[in-house]
Amino acid sequence: MASSAPADDTHFIAYKGSFRLFGLTLDDCIRVFFGGNAVVSIIVLALITYFLFREGSGFFGQNRDNLTVYRHAGLEYVDFIRTQQDDHAALTRYLSDLRVRQFTHYTMEKGLSLAQANAALASFDDFAGQYGDTVEPIRTLVSDLTEQATAIKEKFTVMEDKKVERTQLLAAGKEAEAAAVRIVPIDFVVELKPILGTLPAYREASAEFAKRLTAVLADAPAMPARELQTRMERFQQLNAEYMAGFPAVTRNLETWDYNKPVPVTQAFSSFLFGRQWLTASFWQDWYGVIPLVVGSIMVSLVALIIAVPLGVGSAIYINQIATPLEQKFIKPCIEFISAIPSVVLGFFGIAVLGQALRALSQVSWLSWVPGFPYSERLNILTAGCLLALIAVPTIFTLAEDALNNVPRAFKEASFALGATRLQTIIRIIVPASLSGIISAVLLGLGRVIGETMVVLLCAGNRIAIPDFTAGLAVITQPVHTMTGIIAQEMGEVVHGSIHYRALFVVGMLLFFLSLAINYAAQRIVRRYRISIG
Amino acid sequence: MDTLAPAPTLRPPSAPAAASSAPGSGPAPAAETLIEIDHVDFFYGAVQALHDISLSIQDKKVTAFIGPSGCGKSTLLRCFNRMNDLIDGTRIAKGSIKIRGIDIHRPDVDVIELRKRVGMVFQKSNPFPKSIYENITYGLKLQGVSNKARLDEVVEKSLRGAALWEEVKDRLHTSGLGLSGGQQQRLCIARAIAVEPEIILMDEPCSALDPVATAKVEELIQTLRTRFTIVIVTHNMQQAARCSDKTAFFYMGKLIEYADTRNIFMNPANPQTEAYVSGRFG
Repeated sequence: MASSAPADDTHFIAYKGSFRLFGLTLDDCIRVFFGGNAVVSIIVLALITYFLFREGSGFFGQNRDNLTVYRHAGLEYVDFIRTQQDDHAALTRYLSDLRVRQFTHYTMEKGLSLAQANAALASFDDFAGQYGDTVEPIRTLVSDLTEQATAIKEKFTVMEDKKVERTQLLAAGKEAEAAAVRIVPIDFVVELKPILGTLPAYREASAEFAKRLTAVLADAPAMPARELQTRMERFQQLNAEYMAGFPAVTRNLETWDYNKPVPVTQAFSSFLFGRQWLTASFWQDWYGVIPLVVGSIMVSLVALIIAVPLGVGSAIYINQIATPLEQKFIKPCIEFISAIPSVVLGFFGIAVLGQALRALSQVSWLSWVPGFPYSERLNILTAGCLLALIAVPTIFTLAEDALNNVPRAFKEASFALGATRLQTIIRIIVPASLSGIISAVLLGLGRVIGETMVVLLCAGNRIAIPDFTAGLAVITQPVHTMTGIIAQEMGEVVHGSIHYRALFVVGMLLFFLSLAINYAAQRIVRRYRISIG
Repeated sequence: MDTLAPAPTLRPPSAPAAASSAPGSGPAPAAETLIEIDHVDFFYGAVQALHDISLSIQDKKVTAFIGPSGCGKSTLLRCFNRMNDLIDGTRIAKGSIKIRGIDIHRPDVDVIELRKRVGMVFQKSNPFPKSIYENITYGLKLQGVSNKARLDEVVEKSLRGAALWEEVKDRLHTSGLGLSGGQQQRLCIARAIAVEPEIILMDEPCSALDPVATAKVEELIQTLRTRFTIVIVTHNMQQAARCSDKTAFFYMGKLIEYADTRNIFMNPANPQTEAYVSGRFG
């Protein structure tokens, strides 16, 4: 008996081990296959992260160089004066806005004909013209300085290019040719002398400018209506503030030092908090991500405001109220939306929705809606509406899951206490699934913020922070987004250039944003599971 | 009637309140018979769950429904507050159920009002994921009561009525889900009595509880019988014997025997009942 048992065992083991691949048993092969699949996805994720970092990390060094050149070549110096000129231009725009308002006032409320209205505005036009001309002394100065500073920057760029050329030649082993590349170092002190020498001229021009402004503003024409008069007073006040800033400009110019080092933090802060994204400019490139972040957030916000009620509402309907027949029809319909390619949605947005919304905004009895009527067909609102369509299936499906997870017993208990269906939904079902619904909304947000094609096609792609002083009407302005800018510009940048790297950093930012949103959603879901018990 | 009534748990004002509804609602016999079930056939889709059930349940008594699984006792219980309405495809094909003479399945009956008067305690304790206080006040808030003093009073009264007050009075605002199984079930009973129903339906209230918690709930049923009409579905025959005045035995969707509890257990008239209560099947 003792001898027969081991014989059986060996037979059994031999049978099981008969299949071997590279010395692995069948069990091992299965393990390797499935384990391998899991490992591959982790490796891919790690590679993507590494690649993003490698390409993006060079940006900050380059950005610092970029800022250093900006200072060395005197562009920064000239920009002090340019800003002064730009501010004046902004005030001029205020005046033209005021003219439009007066014109409307004359034609709509007073019932004057166009010619009469123009005649009535003659004195105002005269005033506006004079106001526009006051900046003349500064303008002349700026255009001279701009040319000089650009020339210095150009020289510097050429020298940098030559340096690169020589390095490449040396690397290729062509010593003689490398030696032939002549590099003349730039002495910024010498180069900047003519620019800095204009300081007395500036003082004079600035004083002249201030004198002219005061003279023009002293006899501003009276406005035909109370509301317009308030605006005129506001204009006067803005001008007073503007002129109060002149001494500061002079001080900036006097104390400016081309050799002051650019702090490392500025390479980061000028990116993260920069209010301008300006590339391929003749003057100076800026890589400030704020306009893009604001654009992305605004579009996503509008999308969520539309998608959350739609998605959560229909989830509640399907889960709690609908008949089985309705469920069978509505659920696939909503889920089908996610099958529409986003480029098709974008196309639809341009061709149909943008037009339709604009036409709607021009309906006269809707003019009380903030921002209506508007003329930009592609704007935050259009993109937000379409993105909402993309977020709805995600929010709907996940919210419905969350509602499904609410134990039936809660519902029964509520009904048994004499609650109506609505009371049960509002007081029991929704609170019990709230964390699930919130995480559904967050994942919807993640979906929306990463969406590219729709915003690229429909958001209007104007790289500027929208004008929040317009109040709610801000949603009728065009914006550009983080995803859109990458898709639009990545194809045409020079590999390894600062612009290229800047786009990668935008990608990194997006990556971390999505990561944070997903992490938050998962945390909330986990807490929710525990609380239901 | 050996009520173990712990004096402080039942406060006098509740007794008249419960009793006051009785006299106005019909002639003297109606006070005796509260629920009148008349030849009821019930279907889940095409499956017939109840066959021609007739019985009358008496006011301020504990009635137990016993029988093997799937015999239809829970189904019948859930007819009394129309909880079966929540399940698609259910219908009463024949017969009627009357509470105080009113056919509760008539289309003009307000189900919400019905459920306020017919409370229910479920097999698995199901407190809402809210605080103990909010659990108790839920039903009242539905009815629009928002007076804090009144709510406080009802919470205390209901919890005392459910013999839970002493255990939870210091943590009224913690989650009801933090209580033990037995406490949760008593919380559910407290929640049901907070809206002052006339009838309390209990669907196997002790099947998920340990013996000690079961004893407490049974004790509670004894104290509640003076104020409420209780219908209890149970698998546990000793429980039916211990707490009920009348017992109905169901088998395969039919009512086999309905009589005083003592008779059912001591000398059943039907051999099937005899076989079941003596433990020979089921």
